Amino acid sequence: MDNKKKKSISYAKWGYIFIIPFFVVYFIFALYPTLLTVYNSFFENYREGLVQVGPNFVGLQNYIDLLTPGKDGTIGIVRYFGNTMIMWIIGSVPQFVFALLLALVFTSARLKIKGQGVMKSVIYMPNMIMAAAFSMLFFSVFSTVGPANQILAAMGILDKPIDFISIKTSARGLVAFMNFLMWFGNTTIMLIAGIQGIDESLFESARIDGAKSTRVFFDITLPLLRPILIYVFITSMIGGLRMFDVPQVLSKGIGMPDRSTFTVVMLLNNYLGGSKNYGMAGAVSVLLFIVTAILSIFVFKYLNKKE
Amino acid sequence: MKKTISIVLVLLLVLSVLTACGGGNEDPAPAPGEEGKVFNIYAWNEEFKGFFDKYYADKIPEGVEVKWTIVPSDNGAYQAALDEALLNQDAADADSKVDMFLAEADYILKYTNSAATQDIEALGVTDFSNTYAYTVEAASDAEGVVKGVSFQCCPSALIYRRSIAKDVLGTDDPAEVQAALDSWEKFDAVAAAAKDKGYLMTASYAETYRVFSNNVTTPWVDADNNLQFDKNIEIWMEQAERYVKNGYTLTEGIWDAGKNAEMGKDGKAMCFFGPAWYFNFCMGPAHDEAMGDWAICQGPAAHFWGGTWLLAPAGSDNPTILADIMNTFINDEEVCEALIRNESQFTNNQKVNEKVANDETYASEFLGGQNDVAIFAELAKNIKFQNQTIYDQYMNEGLQTYFVEYLKGSVASIEQVMNNFYTYINEKAPSVVTP
Repeated sequence: MDNKKKKSISYAKWGYIFIIPFFVVYFIFALYPTLLTVYNSFFENYREGLVQVGPNFVGLQNYIDLLTPGKDGTIGIVRYFGNTMIMWIIGSVPQFVFALLLALVFTSARLKIKGQGVMKSVIYMPNMIMAAAFSMLFFSVFSTVGPANQILAAMGILDKPIDFISIKTSARGLVAFMNFLMWFGNTTIMLIAGIQGIDESLFESARIDGAKSTRVFFDITLPLLRPILIYVFITSMIGGLRMFDVPQVLSKGIGMPDRSTFTVVMLLNNYLGGSKNYGMAGAVSVLLFIVTAILSIFVFKYLNKKE
Repeated sequence: MKKTISIVLVLLLVLSVLTACGGGNEDPAPAPGEEGKVFNIYAWNEEFKGFFDKYYADKIPEGVEVKWTIVPSDNGAYQAALDEALLNQDAADADSKVDMFLAEADYILKYTNSAATQDIEALGVTDFSNTYAYTVEAASDAEGVVKGVSFQCCPSALIYRRSIAKDVLGTDDPAEVQAALDSWEKFDAVAAAAKDKGYLMTASYAETYRVFSNNVTTPWVDADNNLQFDKNIEIWMEQAERYVKNGYTLTEGIWDAGKNAEMGKDGKAMCFFGPAWYFNFCMGPAHDEAMGDWAICQGPAAHFWGGTWLLAPAGSDNPTILADIMNTFINDEEVCEALIRNESQFTNNQKVNEKVANDETYASEFLGGQNDVAIFAELAKNIKFQNQTIYDQYMNEGLQTYFVEYLKGSVASIEQVMNNFYTYINEKAPSVVTP
């Protein structure tokens, strides 16, 4: 320790050199397209059939168009942000609770669950299926002639089929449920890693002091797990705001019923697919970025507050 | 020194990653008189490829490779890929220039009314004496320059289930059924009679959509790009609502599983509408479980549905093969007859169609021995390709998908349906002015 000033070879520069590739790739494939998106959002730029219209500079017109209320008095994009958040919340709240419970069970020194490897693989499995395929499966299962209705009818619960995807609550519920199924395994594994990172001696001493499991959970596990929880929460929120493939496939791209499962990225997709409307799509992306940034900062500040 | 070397290496690595993306080398253009070595065809499914491989592939000159680019049309993916290729046509090297592409009726105008396609009469496809007029109109631009041909003609017929027709009308003879269903008033009356016997008139609220939309007198957008509703579309909406309310039909879409279920052995629906390709290739449950229990007649109004056109892109480096393919599929009588007899197509060659129509030994097994070509040959004469716009696909699909939400009760009012429909159109076609 006392001879640390004798040798002055700094290895720091190697660190910088090794991260150069990342930054180069980041600037070219992430930062540059992001700035280009912002730039594009100030232009009228789309295709009509095979004829290119623009790019013509229109200032903030695209943003004004997006934020002008429609004939039904609501602002489209605000509604779609609402839809996205609602579907994310009803999927992610049970996801966190369930994942936390599973993580506690798996890491419990007292339970010593066997076959953890298999179980972890199984709960992670839904995440490996392509979201679109998963959604297609649900679409068939819950269609009016699908197995869900057949089973309910066979059990005598229904006398005529329910069109699950045409009812606001069940359509949103299905989207949320699919997101839940796909992501709870991932969250569980993150939380297990988090809990295992907590110093075992803390649990031991708590047990020696006679603390009950609930007390250990609320006073040791939860506070020490906070950094991981914040990370999981924010990544889940960012993923949730960008929700696309599941509702897109389930609602045939129109966000049925009554555009109540229509998300912000589906709006972006509608602008891009067909007329290649880079201007409006750019404006939607920028708004999405701003909202995501604000929410993330808010969540981070709020949850990271030291008591 | 080592540091410098490793920095250089890292930079080289990064550069090599980046340069791999760019560039592209120009192939020398083929000399005059010599044509390209690769014949590129863009399509959205394997249907035409099957016919091409069977009836044309042998005629491709030695040394020319046929390359298919097949992109499914879901969510506009086919058009997106095709548009990119066509807009890049001038810059593309000879071997990757598009030499022929396929397009459907719903969006053919987008390509014919553009400089991306070329005059096929200049290439040597000039004999349209046997093709149906509407197929040529559809492939022509606003000035009447023909840009492509269709290898099929798609008059759409009323496809009815014989057993149900017998029960409801007391007959399954096509002529008598036609007499009972030749106007919408009669169609309504039969629908009520079918309902009384526990049947459905149709299995989809949108089953009759094409019958109305093909006979509109005004296009979806006017000269100033304002969206407008034709009277016929309004009649269809009124009919669909009434049929759903009265229990004459279902709230299933044209392609939904719930509609297809009505074609099976327990199917209750009496009428379907569609061309030869529809009942031969898209009525799976009917083929599997109710073979021969079907027949076709003209129905309340002449109309068509779909159809695949072969279009000639500007800048193709294989104009001779291109023209020969087109000529073969419209004028080679042997090929056309094989398309009817072996592939269940209704071809775009009137002479061959008439010949089969008058062949008493020709019968469709699916239609219980009826000669469908004879019916289609009559129907095809009345088809018009008019009042189309480049937005028709969005209009047709958008209106149907948003309107059914009202029929299902998940949207409370027609106003809200229209709001949703207009919003969708604004997103997909920014230049259309919605009310």
